[in-house]
Amino acid sequence: MQLRMKSALMSILVNLTALITALAVSMVIIALSGAEALEAVRALWDGAFAGRAQVAGTLSKMIPLLLVSLGWIVAYSARRVSIGFEGQILIGGAFATWVGITLSLPIGLHLFLAVLFGVVGGAIWAGIAAWLWARRNVNEIISTLLLNLIAIEVVSWLVRGPFQEATGTFPRSMPIVDAARWPLLVARSALTSDFLVALAMVVVIGFMLRHTTFGYRLRFTGANERAARHGGIKTIRVNVLALVISGALAGLAGASLILGGESRSMSDNFSANYGFEGIVVALLARNNPYATVPAALLFAALRQGRGLMEARVGVSSSIVLIAQGLVILLIAGASFLLERRQTARVDTDAAAEESA
Amino acid sequence: MGPFDGAWLAATVTLATPILLAATGELFSERAGILNVGLEGMILSGAFGGYWGAWWFGDIWLGVLAGILAGVGLAAVMAVLSVQARADQIVVGVGLNLMAIGITTFMFREIFGDRGEIILTRMDHEAIPFLSDLPGIGKPLFAQTPVVYLAVGLVVAAWVVLNKTSWGLSVRAAGEVPAAVDSAGVSVLAIRWQALLITGGFAGLAGATLSIVRLGLFQENMSAGRGFLALAAVIFGRWKPVGILGACLVFAAADSTQLRLQAEGSIPGEVWLVLALAVAGGALLVLARSGWSVGLLRQPRIGLLIAAVVLGFVLYGLEPAWSFPSQLWLALPFVVTLLALAGAAGHTQAPAALTIPYQRDHDV
Repeated sequence: MQLRMKSALMSILVNLTALITALAVSMVIIALSGAEALEAVRALWDGAFAGRAQVAGTLSKMIPLLLVSLGWIVAYSARRVSIGFEGQILIGGAFATWVGITLSLPIGLHLFLAVLFGVVGGAIWAGIAAWLWARRNVNEIISTLLLNLIAIEVVSWLVRGPFQEATGTFPRSMPIVDAARWPLLVARSALTSDFLVALAMVVVIGFMLRHTTFGYRLRFTGANERAARHGGIKTIRVNVLALVISGALAGLAGASLILGGESRSMSDNFSANYGFEGIVVALLARNNPYATVPAALLFAALRQGRGLMEARVGVSSSIVLIAQGLVILLIAGASFLLERRQTARVDTDAAAEESA
Repeated sequence: MGPFDGAWLAATVTLATPILLAATGELFSERAGILNVGLEGMILSGAFGGYWGAWWFGDIWLGVLAGILAGVGLAAVMAVLSVQARADQIVVGVGLNLMAIGITTFMFREIFGDRGEIILTRMDHEAIPFLSDLPGIGKPLFAQTPVVYLAVGLVVAAWVVLNKTSWGLSVRAAGEVPAAVDSAGVSVLAIRWQALLITGGFAGLAGATLSIVRLGLFQENMSAGRGFLALAAVIFGRWKPVGILGACLVFAAADSTQLRLQAEGSIPGEVWLVLALAVAGGALLVLARSGWSVGLLRQPRIGLLIAAVVLGFVLYGLEPAWSFPSQLWLALPFVVTLLALAGAAGHTQAPAALTIPYQRDHDV
């Protein structure tokens, strides 16, 4: 327990240092470009939290970030490195869009079906990579990457072809029927009820990883696959499930982007890099499901606030990308400091559960 | 030959060049054991660096040099983190890509935002004296920009270096059994550093090709996924320069075909013929690689392949008025790569130590 506390504190320290350094460097860059650094930060804050609409926007942007980061955590628990969330979001969203524009069903059912299809879509897309990994020994990093690129083309075709809106001029789908959209959580805002679903998933995944047999098998497989296999765990099945579940979560994120949020239809690249930022959130949370909440809040705030920062102070919102990249690099670079402790922690856990 | 004319060939070569450069550079890293997901970011930095350099110095080749240096710079960051600090290569790569988009976009807006779109002079095509007069293929292949010839030269050089020099041997060993390299007295870390810097240089060159050589301008996020295409090309090409060349040509061919077909109403018959020949060619290649064993002919997949080839010829003859969405063609190289990876009989040919940081004395 002592070891866990210490390594947790170390983690938080490393993360905070990385964040502060990234912030400092960003402010230096802003200052060098001639703008007022403090003003920029203030604008960023205002854009994210100043008013009711802003907070709603921030919370709303947390949803896909939370889901994708959870997906990463599930896959990584089995040591599968899936970077295919962008594609899974897109395909999941496409499935949900299909339900949203073709079917007409009573209110609750339509939404439920659309979300279900979204989840299934993401799961299938990840399933392709999972199958390739299990049956053909294809590295999942590459296959999920390629599937991302394919998914972009699929969506591009859909919004210009079968799904396209009536006038045929814009690359976006027909509008999603209201009956299929998420109800508002806070009246007259952008925040929809899927925020609660996302939070619920945090708890579900957190519980699953720590307190269920499957979660145990997942983590054991990730920690030491050979030992897990000798111990009777069907590691191939576990790995496949890990990838499929992570895809399902990303698909849910896709459905959420389509059925909630501001836009009422599907358009090109609606995944808006959430698929990669979610990975960053997970890394910042050090692969802890509960820690994804503050991490997602931070990144959502950056996303929400950068528009105002650009409008008010004239600082290009791309500075946020620089800051994010810096955070990843700094945390990754410092990670080797925590490596030994981390390994010890997992082994201790596995051993403790084994003897329990 | 229908849509597959000289212009198509020229477009294919032009489109293939940046990916070929990036993929060849990536080959060095991966052979040494580093999976460089940050390739996309390096290409983008090269594109911006090239554009800025050409503008600042007023000379396109100095711009190219600036692009190369930009790529090398990013590669150095990757090396510090992945090789020295042994950080997770994928994570570092993702971080570098984000930073590259951020930095290039930021600097582009800062430096060029108020000046309006500055279009620089592109690189001239230089025709090779005798070869460019060959009928049909002369102009498309031998009247290209010098960068194209440079790219081909670099691919050949890469083959020579990797297969015929002792440094190349160290690189390949570093990716398979790094401990052996270490015990031979060569520093694994140094080898990986060198390989990464080379990758960065190649990627920077690829980026500069995209921006100033071809178009004379820069657009935000110009690399548009080509880094990932290059990664796919390395795999499709089975970590060999010749294979990579083939892979890049296939990708570029699909791309230029797609561009061409946008102008046509329906798919010309020649396309089916080429597809049929490609499938047949691919099958023959696989057959040849497994030693022409006749037993292969009894496999169920053979029936499928033969049916596909026959279908291709039939469609060539009939020329139905179909038109596929352009996105299908764009997605085709990726699908083909996935299929190739799935069909690669036996186990992965990836370097054994790929993505594993090297650490001496570790009881791994």
